Amino acid sequence: MNEAVPQPQPNLPVDNNHGPVGTNRNWVIVVVIAIVLALMVWAAAWHARQGMRGRAQLSGSVAGKPAPDFALKDVSGKTVHLSDFKGKAVLLNFWATWCPPCKEEIPWFVDLQQKYGQQGFQVIGISTDDDAKPQEIEAFARTLGVNYPVLLSNQGVESEYGGIEALPTTFYIGRDGKIVSRIRGLASHAVVEENIHAAMAQTQANAQTGNAN
Amino acid sequence: MRFRIALLIALTACTLAALAKDDDLLNQGRKAPSVSAMPVPIVQVTRGKPGNFQIQFRVSSGFHINSNKPKSEYLVPTALKLDPPTDIVIANVSYPAGADKSFSFLGPNESLNVYSGDFIVSGKVLASQKASPGIYRVHGTLTYQACDNAQCFPPKKTPVSFDVRVARATSHRVRRNPPQSPNVH
Repeated sequence: MNEAVPQPQPNLPVDNNHGPVGTNRNWVIVVVIAIVLALMVWAAAWHARQGMRGRAQLSGSVAGKPAPDFALKDVSGKTVHLSDFKGKAVLLNFWATWCPPCKEEIPWFVDLQQKYGQQGFQVIGISTDDDAKPQEIEAFARTLGVNYPVLLSNQGVESEYGGIEALPTTFYIGRDGKIVSRIRGLASHAVVEENIHAAMAQTQANAQTGNAN
Repeated sequence: MRFRIALLIALTACTLAALAKDDDLLNQGRKAPSVSAMPVPIVQVTRGKPGNFQIQFRVSSGFHINSNKPKSEYLVPTALKLDPPTDIVIANVSYPAGADKSFSFLGPNESLNVYSGDFIVSGKVLASQKASPGIYRVHGTLTYQACDNAQCFPPKKTPVSFDVRVARATSHRVRRNPPQSPNVH
C-alpha cells in the first residue's frame, strides 16, 4: 500500500479553511489601502469641483506676455488702438448683448472706472455681437451707464487674444503693456478689484525695480 | 513577492484615479456646450393630408439654452429652421414652454426662460397633391445659445434632418353591388 509523501509545510500558521493567515491579511490590507486612497483622491477632486462650480475659469498661461495691440472701431466709427492707452493699467473686457453674466459685471466696471480712472486705469469693452448694429450696441451700453470705450470686435483681435471661447472674458493689462491675468466667465466684484490692483501694482513694482537699479 | 505586486497594482490604481480626476479639474469650465438632435422616426403622410413630426433635442449636462421665447429681446431664442424639398410643406412648428430659472449672475427677482436636458419641437408636414409617392428628406438647423452658471457661449447651429414617406391618397369610390336576381330561391 502506498503512503502519501508528506509535503513540506510553510512556516506560517495555517487557517484550515483559507490557507496561510499572514498572506491573506496582507492582501486584505493592500485592498483596503487602495480603496481608501482612491476614495480620498475622488473626494478631494469632488470637493474641488464643487468649489469651482459657478466661479470664473482662471488661467495664468498668458500672464507676463505683451498684450497684442489692436485697431478697432468704436460704436461711433472712430478707430481706437490699445496703444492709445500706453502707460495705463487696462481692463479689457470681451462681452456681448446676449450674455447675461456680462450684463451683471458691466456696472461694476463703470464704478471701478469712476473710482480708479484718475490713477491711470482704463476699462475698454469689446463687443463680440455679430448681428447687432453699432447703434444697438451703443444703446445697450448706454442703458448700463457705460463710461468707457466700447469697441467692435473682429476675428483678428479675438484670435490674437487666444480665441474668445466664452463670455465674459477679461484681460488685466499692466501699465507696462503686459498681461497680468485673464479671467474667463463671471468673477466676483472682489476678484475684479483685486486684479485691477494687481495690474496697477505690477506697473509700480516695475518702476521701483527700475529705480533700485 | 505577491505582496509587492499587489501594492504596486494598488498604487497604480490610485495614480490612475488621481489622473482621471485631475483631467476633470483641468477641464472644469473648459467643457463646451452642445445640443444634439435624437434620430427622428420616418413621418408617414398621405398626399393632401398633414402628418406630424417631433424632434427631440438634448442639451448637454451643466448648460442651459434660451427658450424660444426668452425674456429679453437681446437674448438669442432657440429656433428651428427647416428647408423642405419641393412638394413638402412644414407648418405649425411649436416649441415647449421653457422653465423660469434664477442664476447667481441675475438680480434677486430676475430669471431666464430656458431649456435644459431634453425638449421636443414638433410640427406638421404636408405633401402636395402632386407629390410623387416616395421618401423625401427634410433638412434644417436648430439655432441656440448656451450658458452655464458663469459664462455664455456664442450662438451655434445643430443640423437636423428627417425623412417623410409620401403615400397616395386612398380611393373613396363607392362600390356598387351587382344587380340582384329578383328570383330568390
